[in-house]
Amino acid sequence: MPDWKEEITQQLAGSKLPPAREAEIVEEVAQHLEDRFCELLAGGATEEKARRTALEEISADKLLARGLERLEHQATQEPVVLGAREKKNVLAGLWQDTRYGLRTLAKNPGVTAVAVTTLALGIGLNTVIFSMVNGLLLRPPHVRHPEQIYTLAAEGNTGGDTFSYQNFQDIKKQTSALFSDMAGVQAFSVTGLSVGGKSERMWTNFVSGDFFEMLGIRPALGRFILPAEGRVAGADPVLVLGYSFWKAHFGGDPSIVGKKALVNGRPVNIVGVAPEGFRPVSTILDTQGYMPLGMAAVDNQAMSDFLNDRQNRCLVLIARVKPGVTEREIQPTLEVIAKRLAGEYPKADDWRTLKAYPLSPIGPNPRAVHSLAVLAALFLTMASIVLILACVNVTSILLARATVRRREIAIRAALGATRGRLIWHLLIESFLLALLGCMGGILLGLAGSRVVSSLPLPTAIPIIMDFSFDWRVFAYAFAVALLAAVIAGIAPALRASGVNLNVFLHEGGRTLSSSGDRLRKILVMSQVGGSVMLLIVAGLFLRSLLKVQRSDLGFDPQHLLNITLDPQLAGYDQEAAQQFVKTALERVRAFPGVQSASLAATVPMGDDSMEDSLEVEGFVSSPGQQAPSAGYNVISPGYFETLHIPLLFGREFLETDTQNSMRMAVINQAMAERFWHGLDPLGKQFRRKEDPNHPLGVVGVVRNSRTDDLYSPMEPYFYMALAQKPLLPVTLQVRTAGDPESMAHEIVATIKFLDPAMPLADVQSMTEALDSPNRLLLFQLGAGLAAAMGIVGLILALIGVYGVVSYTATQQTREIGIRLALGARPGQILRMIFRQGVLVVVPGTIAGVLAAFAIARLAGGFLVGVTPTDPLTYAGVVLMLAMVALAASYIPARRATKVDPMVALRYE
Amino acid sequence: MENKPSDREWKKGSAELLILSLVEARPRHGYDISKLIEQRSRGTLRFHAASLYPLLYRLEKRGWVQGRWVEKSGQRRRRYYRLTPQGRKILASQRRGWQVFVKAINRITEVEHA
Repeated sequence: MPDWKEEITQQLAGSKLPPAREAEIVEEVAQHLEDRFCELLAGGATEEKARRTALEEISADKLLARGLERLEHQATQEPVVLGAREKKNVLAGLWQDTRYGLRTLAKNPGVTAVAVTTLALGIGLNTVIFSMVNGLLLRPPHVRHPEQIYTLAAEGNTGGDTFSYQNFQDIKKQTSALFSDMAGVQAFSVTGLSVGGKSERMWTNFVSGDFFEMLGIRPALGRFILPAEGRVAGADPVLVLGYSFWKAHFGGDPSIVGKKALVNGRPVNIVGVAPEGFRPVSTILDTQGYMPLGMAAVDNQAMSDFLNDRQNRCLVLIARVKPGVTEREIQPTLEVIAKRLAGEYPKADDWRTLKAYPLSPIGPNPRAVHSLAVLAALFLTMASIVLILACVNVTSILLARATVRRREIAIRAALGATRGRLIWHLLIESFLLALLGCMGGILLGLAGSRVVSSLPLPTAIPIIMDFSFDWRVFAYAFAVALLAAVIAGIAPALRASGVNLNVFLHEGGRTLSSSGDRLRKILVMSQVGGSVMLLIVAGLFLRSLLKVQRSDLGFDPQHLLNITLDPQLAGYDQEAAQQFVKTALERVRAFPGVQSASLAATVPMGDDSMEDSLEVEGFVSSPGQQAPSAGYNVISPGYFETLHIPLLFGREFLETDTQNSMRMAVINQAMAERFWHGLDPLGKQFRRKEDPNHPLGVVGVVRNSRTDDLYSPMEPYFYMALAQKPLLPVTLQVRTAGDPESMAHEIVATIKFLDPAMPLADVQSMTEALDSPNRLLLFQLGAGLAAAMGIVGLILALIGVYGVVSYTATQQTREIGIRLALGARPGQILRMIFRQGVLVVVPGTIAGVLAAFAIARLAGGFLVGVTPTDPLTYAGVVLMLAMVALAASYIPARRATKVDPMVALRYE
Repeated sequence: MENKPSDREWKKGSAELLILSLVEARPRHGYDISKLIEQRSRGTLRFHAASLYPLLYRLEKRGWVQGRWVEKSGQRRRRYYRLTPQGRKILASQRRGWQVFVKAINRITEVEHA
């Protein structure tokens, strides 16, 4: 009997089967051969003949070995069964394609690195922007069931969205069917906190007793303010510290709870610390302390009667809706209550209606939410354009690679891979690229948002920029990556998979199909267009910033030093405090190098401002128009001289104007024009709503100057004499002969000499103060972000233009060679190639300008001094892009002219 | 015996159907299957070990048949193949498809001769 196993093993040599599998097959086939051998013998064959026949049946054409090898090593190509539905092993296929894709990417590390970096840039930028939007608009406040919390706004009145304490009590009573709880907050007052002889400024929210209970949170330490506290002026002197304030100023010392402290010189007990991340009133401003509402009444003269005064609207109302009550049910009830209260108190409650808005993370101000949402939409749009530009670059890379890989793909198609499978496979490659890009992007995004979060802000306001990443940001990054994969991958996959082997072999893999060329050019055109659009928006922001920086302030900020003083924070009573300030002013005025000095309640562009409704003699506001109102400041004599604000008519305040003389005001030009229409305003009178018993007589008119922001139209503004309306804190403003910062130290020392314990806040030069957040910072941030995106877009577009021109040049090497051989001059070749660049750049730029017209409208509300169609910006960007892009196409064009005809003709 | 080229083409299309049909009623081993194909086709169709076993393994890999070593007393162990539930479904649909196909071919060729 022949040794069948030996024969079969020889047959299978080289087919690399797993040993155990091979042994099984050998055994089974050997039995078959033996049966066959016996059958042949039984049929009358000789032993030798039977053996040969049996062996031939397995060795012919190496059929067995080949069949097994294919079976064991290759993917199971599911056959299409006649009449059966097509069914696939999706997971196994996915895993196999993923491994294949990774191998392909690893084989081309250069291409992979460029594509991944490009995608990481695009995804990273989107992630940073989104993390900001998330931090400001999306992340719900850290309270129990945040979706149940609403904020109330009074619409159509002169007093803003706020309510008086009496309003609060009435509304709370009348809405008890809708809201399970309602709290009033007097948001963000600056108070002086002193513990153990150390004084600090503390941004405090005065809250009604049920505030914490309504929000349903637990204190980090101690207790919160209790529901019964704060209903009586001055009762319940307790203080709850904000978490980050406690960490920063008390080193997170738990023994702080139970300690005594002074707030504005009055003793309070520190009873607790709020939990970390608890910022229900604003995501941007950090509340450093919470005190009962009743304490606000003893804290501030103007507030002394606010618990009873219906006119004093200083509270923001926050309420928790009862379970099961829908937003639609709330509004009709609120309207009824609004009408009822307006009927009962026509003077105080002069609103049109009441509205409830879901509490947004940015805080209880629906208008701020709206404008932030528009800004967010603008920047997310710009970021998506950058992403699309990045995708287009990757598309170009993949298209180029698809051309290189046509042989591989044609062969795979010929071996039976379906078109769907090829597309799927190529898409997997772009998904892998996008996933790698996503990881890179998240890392870039983390770094970027850390940079934004830690930007030093030139302000004493406790601004928090917490743009940390949470699941929303990661989900967004991942979704963006998936989208990028599809955008970047779909066109190359469709093209590459459509290759026909026959056509390919006939072409010899040399010529480029003209439709691929067209696609590539359209892609680069769209890139040029997109980056033109980004650059125009960035240009508009930059021009706004420049305009704002150069705008005429109406006063001279150079050589001006501000020092804010509040002796009450050091425990002085009203009279002693006034005396201290007066003495300090005299000492500073006598200081060598000081040209003039004066006092003011607020600083132009400062963190505080004052405004009041007015009754103006002889002025009737037309129906439907708001009651007249104006901003004001309270100043000492010498103010206009110190700030270099020119006096146009009349006189300024004098040292001889006192509490006993008639109340007087100096007004600005805008006020003179608004209320007296160019008539002589001197001697005219007006009354403030806050103090109607003391009419103010106009004694002087000064030039308009900037008070609140750098871009709004000039509004009516007036000045009152500090002697007639004593206010604290005040800012001592000093005009110096030299650099104000170098003198700051000596001036501070002069004041400290009077009382070493005097807390001095905001010692800074006026130019420094102008960088405060509500002034330039927004413009700087906007312009910075827009410029970053514009530059990334520009770089991507340049890579695109360079790529398409040099690719065309390479493809045409043979043609160039022939032309040169036939006597073409290099100049002609240069023009021929350069034209390719022009043909891409010009239509792209035109499309970009048109698109910019559309998107710049979104930016319109945030631009100052430039229109969204500012011709200078458009022209500048177009010129710059055209130059740079043409330069990018000049390099490969120039290279093409250096082609050696002999080399080019051999080129394939 | 040698296959004629036309034979080979026929077998390719129908081999799976043949094997699935043969193991439908009861499990069979490879040699048994090849003998039955030869006998029932009266010698028209023959599968050699070289093409039969790769085919069987493929069907097994797809889960349509399942092979199992069975030892019977006094005999060497043999590998028996039996139809899986999935294979049964495939067989049913292949049968239908085949009948449709044969009928269609018949209709065309008969018209030609008519």
